[in-house]
Amino acid sequence: MATARSKTEASLAFAGLVVLMIALWTAGSALAAGAPPSPTRWVTDAAALLSHETRAALDARLEAYERTSGHQILVWISDSTDGAPVEDFAVRAFKEWKVGRKGLDDGLVLFIFARDHRSRIEVGYGLEGVVTDAQATRLLDDVLAPRLRAQDADGAVIATVDGLVELVGGEGALGPRTRVGAQTAHRTLSVPQMVLFAVLGLAFLLLLATHPRMALFLLANIASSAFGRTGGSAGAGRSGGGGRSGGGGASGSW
Amino acid sequence: MTTTLEKQSAELRPMRLGLWVGLGAVGLVLVALLASVTTYNGLVTLDQAVKAQWAEVENVYQRRADLVPNLVSTVKGAADFERDTLTAVTEARARVGQVSGAAPKNVTEDPAAFAQFQKAQDALSSSLSRLMVVVERYPDLHATQNFRDLQSQLEGTENRITVARMRFNESAQAFNARRSSFPTVVLAGLFGLRFSEKPYFEADRGARTAPVVDFRKP
Repeated sequence: MATARSKTEASLAFAGLVVLMIALWTAGSALAAGAPPSPTRWVTDAAALLSHETRAALDARLEAYERTSGHQILVWISDSTDGAPVEDFAVRAFKEWKVGRKGLDDGLVLFIFARDHRSRIEVGYGLEGVVTDAQATRLLDDVLAPRLRAQDADGAVIATVDGLVELVGGEGALGPRTRVGAQTAHRTLSVPQMVLFAVLGLAFLLLLATHPRMALFLLANIASSAFGRTGGSAGAGRSGGGGRSGGGGASGSW
Repeated sequence: MTTTLEKQSAELRPMRLGLWVGLGAVGLVLVALLASVTTYNGLVTLDQAVKAQWAEVENVYQRRADLVPNLVSTVKGAADFERDTLTAVTEARARVGQVSGAAPKNVTEDPAAFAQFQKAQDALSSSLSRLMVVVERYPDLHATQNFRDLQSQLEGTENRITVARMRFNESAQAFNARRSSFPTVVLAGLFGLRFSEKPYFEADRGARTAPVVDFRKP
C-alpha cells in the first residue's frame, strides 16, 4: 500500500516536471522571438501619435473591413524598434501576431515608429499580388511622409489606410477566397499507414492489458505533446491565424 | 497427486521464463524499430523543410535577377551613365545565371556548389548596391517614377532575400542539430549522403552597409 502511494506520488511529480518543462519551453520561445505582444485591436497607438477619436474611428473601420472582406489590416504605432532594423521587427511581429487568415495570409500591417521616424508596410504572402513593393513605397513616401512632416499625424495615417484599403479592395464585399482548412480535408490513410496504425493499436492494447499505468502515461504524454502547443492567444477583439510573410512591402522614413 | 502437480509446475517454470524472455526480446526489437522509424521520419520532415526554404531562396534570387535587365535598360537611358558600374552589374548577373544553370539539383547537400552560389549572388548584391549609390549622382534619373518603382522593387526583393536566407539558416540549423544529436547521428550515418549536414549562409559582409564611392572621380 505504502509503495503504491509513493509510486503514484513519484509519477505525479514526474508529470508535473514534464508540464513545467513544456511551460518553460513555450515561454522561452516567446521571449526569444522578441516581438511585442499580439495586439488585440486593429489600431494600436503606443506613442500617442493619433488623436483619441481618429484611433477609435480607424479601429472600428478596420474591424468592419475585416468582417466584410476577410482581409486584416493593422496599424501599429510605437516609439521605437529599440535598435532593431525596421524590416526585422516587422517580419518577426507579423509572424508572431499571425496576421491574416490561416492558409491565406491575407493581412498587412502599417508600422510607424514615431521617435525613429521610420515606417514600414509589411505585406502577407496572400496580398503580395495586390500590394506591390512599388505601391507600398509610393504610399509611404508620397502619402504618409509629407503629412507626418507637416505634423498632421491623423491625416497621414487615415490617408495611408485609405490607400491600402483601396489597393486591397473588397470593402463591402465578401472575401472571394474563404477555403480555410481545405488542406486538412483530403487527408486519407494509405494501406501501409493503416497496417502500421493497426499494429500500433494492438501493441498499445497489449501494453494496456499488461502495464495499464505505463500505457496511460504514454497516452497522456503523446496527447500533451500533440495538443499542448496550440492555442495562440485570441484577444478580446482581433484574432489571427496567418502570419506568413516573406519580407514583402516597403520601408520609409520622414 | 500433489507430487505430480508440483512436478508439473517445476517443469513449466523454465518454459514460462523462456516465453517471457522471448516476448521481451520481441518487444525490444519492436521498440527499436519504431524508434528508428520515428527518427528517420523526423529527419525527413526537417530535410523537407530545408528544401522548401531553399526553394524560397532560389525564388527570391531569381526575382532579383529578373529585375536586373529592366533596371539596366532604364539606367542606360540616362545620358552618359557610368559604363563601368553598368558592366559590373551585367557581368555579375550573367555569372549568377551561369552558376544557377550549372548547379546540381541538390545544392544544399553540396557545400562547394553552395559556396559558389553564395559567392555569385553576393557579387551581384555588391554591384547592384554600388549602382544604386552611383545613381544618386544623376538627379534627373533618380526622380523618374519608373526608376523609383524599380528601386522599391529592388529594395523589396533584397529584403525578401534577407528573410529567405534567415529562414533557410534556421531550418538548416534545426536539421543539423537533430542530425548530430546522439541516437539520430548513428541512424543518419547509415544513410550516408542522404542526410549530410546542411551548409549555412554566412552574414553577407557589407551588404547592409552602403559601399563607399569616390565622388571625386569624373
